[in-house]
Amino acid sequence: MAETVNILGPARNRVDGRLKVTGAAKYSVEFQVPNCAYGWTVESNVAKGKILSIDTKSAQAAPGVLAIVTHLNAPKPKEPAAKKHRGQTDGIRNEERVPFSDDEIHYAGQYVALVVAKTIEQARYAASLVKVSYAPEEPLLTMNAAKSSATKPKGSFGPVQIKKGDVDLPLKGTSLTKIEQIYTTPTETHNPIEMSGTIAAWDRDDKLTLYDATQFVKGVQSVIARAWNLPIENVRVICPFVGGAFGCKGAVWPHVFAAAMGAKAAGVPVKMHVTRRNMFVGTGHRTPTTQTIALAATRDGKLRAMRHVSHIATSPVGDHVESCGARSTGMMYESPAIQVEETLHKINVASTTFMRAPGECPGTYALECAMDELAYALKMDPVQLRLTNYADNHPVKNVPFSAKHLKECYQVGAEKFGWAKRNPQPRSMRDGDLLGGWGMATKTYPAHKMEAAAKVMLRADGSATVQCAAHDLGTGAYTALTQIASEQLGVPFEKVKFELGDTDFPFGPVAGGSNTTGTVGTAIHEVAQLLHKALADLAVKDSESPLYNLSSNDIAMIAPGHIGSKIDNKKSDAYIDILRRAGRGSIEVQSELKEPEENKKMAFQSFGADFVEVKIDPLLPRVQVTRVVSVINCGRVVTFKPARNQIIGGINMGIGMALMEATEYDPQTGLPATRNLADYHVVTNADAPVIDVTFVGEPDFAFNPIGCRGIGEIGITGAAAAVASAIYHATGKRVRDLPITPDKLMDIA
Amino acid sequence: MNSSDDEVPGDETPPLRSSDAFHEILIFGSPETRRRFLKQVAGTSVAITVGSPLSLFAQRMSETAGGSAPSSAATLPLRLKINGKDVAVEVDTRTTLLDLLREQLHLTGSKKGCDHGQCGACTVLVNGRRINSCLSLAIVHDGEEVTTIEGLANGEQLHPVQAAFVEHDGFQCGYCTPGQICSAVACIKEGHVKSDDEIREWMSGNLCRCGAYPNIVDAIKEAAAKSA
Repeated sequence: MAETVNILGPARNRVDGRLKVTGAAKYSVEFQVPNCAYGWTVESNVAKGKILSIDTKSAQAAPGVLAIVTHLNAPKPKEPAAKKHRGQTDGIRNEERVPFSDDEIHYAGQYVALVVAKTIEQARYAASLVKVSYAPEEPLLTMNAAKSSATKPKGSFGPVQIKKGDVDLPLKGTSLTKIEQIYTTPTETHNPIEMSGTIAAWDRDDKLTLYDATQFVKGVQSVIARAWNLPIENVRVICPFVGGAFGCKGAVWPHVFAAAMGAKAAGVPVKMHVTRRNMFVGTGHRTPTTQTIALAATRDGKLRAMRHVSHIATSPVGDHVESCGARSTGMMYESPAIQVEETLHKINVASTTFMRAPGECPGTYALECAMDELAYALKMDPVQLRLTNYADNHPVKNVPFSAKHLKECYQVGAEKFGWAKRNPQPRSMRDGDLLGGWGMATKTYPAHKMEAAAKVMLRADGSATVQCAAHDLGTGAYTALTQIASEQLGVPFEKVKFELGDTDFPFGPVAGGSNTTGTVGTAIHEVAQLLHKALADLAVKDSESPLYNLSSNDIAMIAPGHIGSKIDNKKSDAYIDILRRAGRGSIEVQSELKEPEENKKMAFQSFGADFVEVKIDPLLPRVQVTRVVSVINCGRVVTFKPARNQIIGGINMGIGMALMEATEYDPQTGLPATRNLADYHVVTNADAPVIDVTFVGEPDFAFNPIGCRGIGEIGITGAAAAVASAIYHATGKRVRDLPITPDKLMDIA
Repeated sequence: MNSSDDEVPGDETPPLRSSDAFHEILIFGSPETRRRFLKQVAGTSVAITVGSPLSLFAQRMSETAGGSAPSSAATLPLRLKINGKDVAVEVDTRTTLLDLLREQLHLTGSKKGCDHGQCGACTVLVNGRRINSCLSLAIVHDGEEVTTIEGLANGEQLHPVQAAFVEHDGFQCGYCTPGQICSAVACIKEGHVKSDDEIREWMSGNLCRCGAYPNIVDAIKEAAAKSA
C-alpha cells in the first residue's frame, strides 16, 4: 500500500479552520475559571547585582490586591532543574533558575515580584507601586565583554564541534580560490502574536491545573510536578490551541512557575498573560551570532576545505546552544576537510532558546552567503557551484542521505524562476529607476524522531476518536494527524476526531524540530495495528464472522473499514459488523511509549532551494522582496494546504530576518531597547512577496511509516541568504551584518 | 512593487467629527488612522497631542466619580450594543474595550497580541469602522455598536470573509485571524481592495507572525469579488 502513496496529500481545509475564523478556538488564557485573579510582574531594571530591599506596603494596600510574591516569601521548589532534551519526558528548561528563588539579578527584565489582584487594572496599578532597590554590579552585556569566561559547549542536539580532515593546509595554500568572511546576526525574538500565558488553578494543596500556552504539555507537567514534589498525575496541563510559538513556548519559563506560586499565595486561580514587553526577556530569544566562514575550492569549484567558527550567547542561568556550524557546514556539501567550532558566552542578557530552525537558520545564512561569495570569486553560477559540491552522502557521518532530491529542487526552482536569464554582473538587472537582484540559497533541516503514544476509540457507528498529547501551533497538526489517522485506521476522514493538547492523553513530544507529524503519525500507525488486531481477536472467535477460526496474525486491514485474511482475500469483515455482533458499543486501544528506532545506516534530512528577486530604490534605499520560488524535498506532504503555508510563513520570517528583525539592547543598562512590535519590526502584509512553493521527491519510508520528514522549520533556512545574495546582485554591495536595513545601503546610489 | 510608507494610497477617509477625533487620537482608532497619525506626529511630541484629550478625559472621569483618585478604581455604568445585543455593565474606567470583551463579557474571539495597538489582533468594528480595541477605553464607547468576530457569521453560515479565509488557508495559528477578518470586512467596505497591492497596504495594520499573508490577500480578493 505504501508505494502508492503520492508525495502530496489532499488539499483539505483545516479541520480547526471554522473554530479559528469564528473566534471559537480557545487559547490558553481564554479558559473561564471561576474566581480567577490576575498576575502582573515587576521586573529588574538592572542587569546584574542584588536586590537590597523590596517595599510592597503601598502595593499591598491598593484596591483588589490579594498577594504579592517576591524572593522573600516565595515557596522554594524542591527540584528546580530538568534539562533533558532528548528522551524528553522530563520537559525542557532553558533557564535553570526558578523565579523569586533568591536576591540575585542575572539580567535586566528579570521578574522580581508578582502582584496578584482581582482585576488586570488593579494588578497593573499595584505593580507600579512596588519599590525595589538594588546593589548593581557591572554587567557583561556583549560576547566580547564575556570572552574570558567563554566555553566550548556540547550541543543541545548532537555534536557542535566537528573536525574532519585538515582544513588548515588548503586554507593556507596559494593554489586554491578562497574566501573568508565574518557574518553577524542580531538577537531575534520569536514574537508569536499570542503572547505566552498561563492560568494556574490549585485544587486543595496538591492538585494543579494549568492552562498554558505551550509547545509541550507533558514537559510542563513534568517540570512543575517535580518542582512542587507532586505525583505527576496531580498536575494537568491543557492547551488545545497555541497562537504561534516558533520555539518560545517549548521550555518552561519563569511566568509558569510564577502563576502557580501566585495562585498558591492568593488562594485563588491566577491568570498571567505575559506582556509583549516581557516577551523580549521572559520567554527566550535567538542568540546573536558572529560566524566566520572560510572556504577553499579548486578552480573548477570543488570544495577542498570549509571552516565555520561561531560565537553565541546565553544568560548566566541559561543553557541553550545554537549549533550554527554543525547544522549547516557540518552536513551540506562534499568536502574532504570540514571544521566546525562553537563558543558559548554567558552574558547578562535574558536566556536564549531555540527559535525556528535553531542553528540551521543562522548557520545556513552564513554558509549560503559564503557560497555566493565563492561563486563570484570563481566566476561560476551559484547553482552550478552547489551542484559541483553535491553530497549524496552525509559528509561527516559518511552514510547516504535517504530520499534526497536536492538536485531536483535546484532544477525545478531555476526553471520556475527563470534563473537562466540572470546576468551575474551586479547592478545589471535594473527595472527603470529600481535596482533589481536575483539570489538563491540551499535550504535544509534534519528529520527528527521523538517518542509518542496514541489512544484510539472506535465506535460501532464507524466513527473514531484518536488522542495524543501533541500540539498544533498553526502547523496544521490537527488536520495532518486526522488525515493520517483516517488512512491508518481505515475510517473516513469526516468520521475521525483527533484530540491533542491535554496531559490526560497519551504522551506527545514537544512540538519542535518539525517532528510532530512523523512522531505522532508513527504512534497512530502503531495504534492502528493494535486496533486491527483487537478487531481480529473478536472476529476469529465469532462463528458468524467470515474470519471465524482464522489466526488473528493472518488478518490485517484490507480496505477502509474492513479487516480480512492476508491469505484468502475473499474473507473479510467490517469493523461495524464485528462490533455489532460482539454487542460492543466501542473498542479502545492504546499504544506503548517507547524510544524511537534510529536507523544509523542513513542520514535523514530535508532539503530545498529558494530563488529570490529584490527591487531596491537606490535613493531610499529600501529593499522590497518581490518574488520567491521555493522548492522543497521533505518526503511526503501529508496535507498540502497547511504544508505550503508553513513554507510561505518560514520564508516570510526569513525575509524579516534579512531585512528588519533585531532586538537591540541599551549598552548601559542591558535592557532591550526594542521591546514592542513598533520597534521590533516583523514582516507585514505590504512586505510579503508572492511565494511559489513546490514539493518534490518521494515519501521517505526509510525514516518512518508515514514517509514524512517534517515541514515547520525548513522554510526559514536559507531564505535570508537568498535575500542577502539578491541584494548583492542588485547593488554590488555585500552586507554581512543582519538585518540589511536602509542605513547599511546608503552608499549604493 | 508595493507603495512606500511615505504615501498611504487612496487615503480618502472623510474629515473626522470632533467626537471621532477624540476617539481616534486618544485611542489611535483604526489601523489606517494610526499609520496616518504616527506619520503626522513624527518628529513632534506624541505626548502633547495625546495629553490634552487625556487630561480632559481624566477630568470628566474624576468629576463623574466624585473626584476620587485614579488608584481607587472608579467604575462607571456603560451601555453598548455588542453583536446586536444590548449590554449594560459597570466598568473600571481604566478598562480597555478589549479587556471588557475578553475578561468581563467572555467574548475571547478578539485577541490581545500586544496591548499597544501595534499588531491589530484586537481589531473590532465600532459603528462599522475598524479599531484597535486594546487602545480604546471601554467607557468612551457608551451607546455605540460593536461587532466582534463572534458577531460576523449568520448562525451556522460563515460570513463570506470567514469562509474565504478557511478556503484559502488564510491563517496558521489562528490568533491574529479574528482581527484580520474584522479588518478585512472593513477593508472591503472601504473599497480598499482594488488591487493586491492596495489590499496589502490597507491590511498592514494586522500582523500575522505565521506569515500567511499571500493567503490572506487571496481570501480577501475572493470575498471582495463575491460581495461586489
